Amino acid sequence: MHLVAQDLVNGILAGGIFAVVALGFSLVWGIMNIINLAHGAFIMLGAYATYQLTTSFGLDPFLTLPVSFVLLFALGYLIQRFLINWVARAPILVTFLLTFGLSLLIVNIALIVWSPDTRGVHPPYAGTNFSLGDVTVPWVKLYTLVAALLITGLMQLWLTRSRTGRAIRATSMDIGAAQLSGVRVSQIYAVVFGLGAGLAGVAGTLLSLSYSLTPNMGDPFLIKGFVVCVLGGLGSVQGALIGGLTYGIVEAFATQIDVTIGTQHISGSGLQDAIALVVLLIVLIVRPRGIMGRAVA
Amino acid sequence: MTARASARRIGLGGITGNPIAFACVLGVMALLLAVPSLHNDYLQVVFRNILMYAAMAYGWNLIGGYTGYVSFGNVTFFGLGAYCAAVLSSHGVQNLFAYVLVAMAVAALFAVVVGLPVLRLRGPYFGIATLGIGLAVGDIVENLDALGGSSGIRLQQVDEAHFAVYYYAMWLVALGAMLATYAIARSKLGYAFVAIRENEDAAAVLGISATRYKITAWAISAMMAGAAGAIFAPANGFIDPSITFATDSNVFPIAMTILGGIGTVAGPFIGALLLAGANELLQRYFVSGHTLFFGAMIVLIVLLLPRGLVWLFGLRGGARAWLRSVQAYKA
Repeated sequence: MHLVAQDLVNGILAGGIFAVVALGFSLVWGIMNIINLAHGAFIMLGAYATYQLTTSFGLDPFLTLPVSFVLLFALGYLIQRFLINWVARAPILVTFLLTFGLSLLIVNIALIVWSPDTRGVHPPYAGTNFSLGDVTVPWVKLYTLVAALLITGLMQLWLTRSRTGRAIRATSMDIGAAQLSGVRVSQIYAVVFGLGAGLAGVAGTLLSLSYSLTPNMGDPFLIKGFVVCVLGGLGSVQGALIGGLTYGIVEAFATQIDVTIGTQHISGSGLQDAIALVVLLIVLIVRPRGIMGRAVA
Repeated sequence: MTARASARRIGLGGITGNPIAFACVLGVMALLLAVPSLHNDYLQVVFRNILMYAAMAYGWNLIGGYTGYVSFGNVTFFGLGAYCAAVLSSHGVQNLFAYVLVAMAVAALFAVVVGLPVLRLRGPYFGIATLGIGLAVGDIVENLDALGGSSGIRLQQVDEAHFAVYYYAMWLVALGAMLATYAIARSKLGYAFVAIRENEDAAAVLGISATRYKITAWAISAMMAGAAGAIFAPANGFIDPSITFATDSNVFPIAMTILGGIGTVAGPFIGALLLAGANELLQRYFVSGHTLFFGAMIVLIVLLLPRGLVWLFGLRGGARAWLRSVQAYKA
């Protein structure tokens, strides 16, 4: 029984990060209709920003959150302004290919700057944890979850309350009408792409606390973000949160499954991704537009 | 004729794309037949890979380009084809022709079974579901000891004396995929695919059974990738899940089709020749950092030729027309 509780807690702890990973990806896709394959590279840059700041200045990793957000926001804003804006209205596959190229570029520059060596971020409280009954919770993961929930909440508040946030949602609903009401769409696109990159940077910082760093570290999270944001429903903050938590929990339980067919033994830990993706398929067949099921934010 | 009109609108000629581009591609294909007589094993492998990617790109083009269902899981069929060949080889079958036939049958069957639920999804939801299937099949194969698990399987050579047999086989598969695409595009089938791409609901109202045509498109697309996999496996002599279900084999054919010209007959081959060729050259001359140049090249081509290289063949009005096209997608 305690295993079930532990799996549930592990799933929720992991799911919080997945939600932040998916959030930026989902906004860019839902609002700009761009599948940003450079999202994983942005995540990696955020993680390395944290690594640099913690090793050079001895900062606490959580204090680097705003720094990675600002740095990646600026990078994303510039990339949209000077590159993607040229093909912003092209069919989705054109921007898909463009961001694929960008991702190769960024990852390979990172390989030159930081080398392919594995690195890690280790704050002094890294190994510590506390127990709640039978369930063990590492402090780092709890802090990460709290930060992830805070970021998601702030995002939702900003999108619904602020002037820019409203303009963003208006653009996602109807570009023409938004333009007629005085929204400068190219400006909004740059902000949204910057936001997506900034959120990827924040996700990278949070991930750097639990995963090791390499220039290719973003790829698996790109795929997870992809799945989470479709699972929850495109372009919505609640969707990313619910999708992330669902995915985290499913994945945590999937590790516990053991199947034996004849002499063939299959352990769940090897099939983690496969099981999570089968669940995704089932969800999509039942609810073809994701759990939260609406097209716009 | 909506389909033809829409193809014209984006400047690609009729439903098969620009005829001059297609003629050029056929010419290059004929030239490629001479590669084995150069007696250079390195070149032969390079061009065999180009042909392999071309076959996979044609497969993707049929479902992603003509039917408008962007699949991120066509690598699954390539992998299945490769494993069909491996299983046949381990049972003593030494016939390349048999490998290809079985691989095509298995890939098509898998596409039909999986397509029934998955092709009900639209747009990105279809894309993500196919990505999921690809990853899941790769994971399952990696955990099956009967298929060698993560350590893979070695294959017997089908013909010790003639290494070029794989090259000719791959050439035939690529040519078959190209001609099949041409024939399909000009038939009722092709027009049905394009009608579904342009407006699925309207197509259904006109009496096109969307589900049947989508599954047909996906099954044919699967056969092309499966056949390429069935030849790749014995030619490579060894396969494991990380080679056969590689992300590269998934993304490259998509990138090639878009770069060459999506929904055209010449596009996938031109894209494959350019991308796989450039990747090989860069790898040769810039041992470290070749992927950097590769990424930069993709970014530049997308920005300068957002409609694919085939579009250049139909360009009228020189530099000014080109400049207008570059500006056309600006926000």
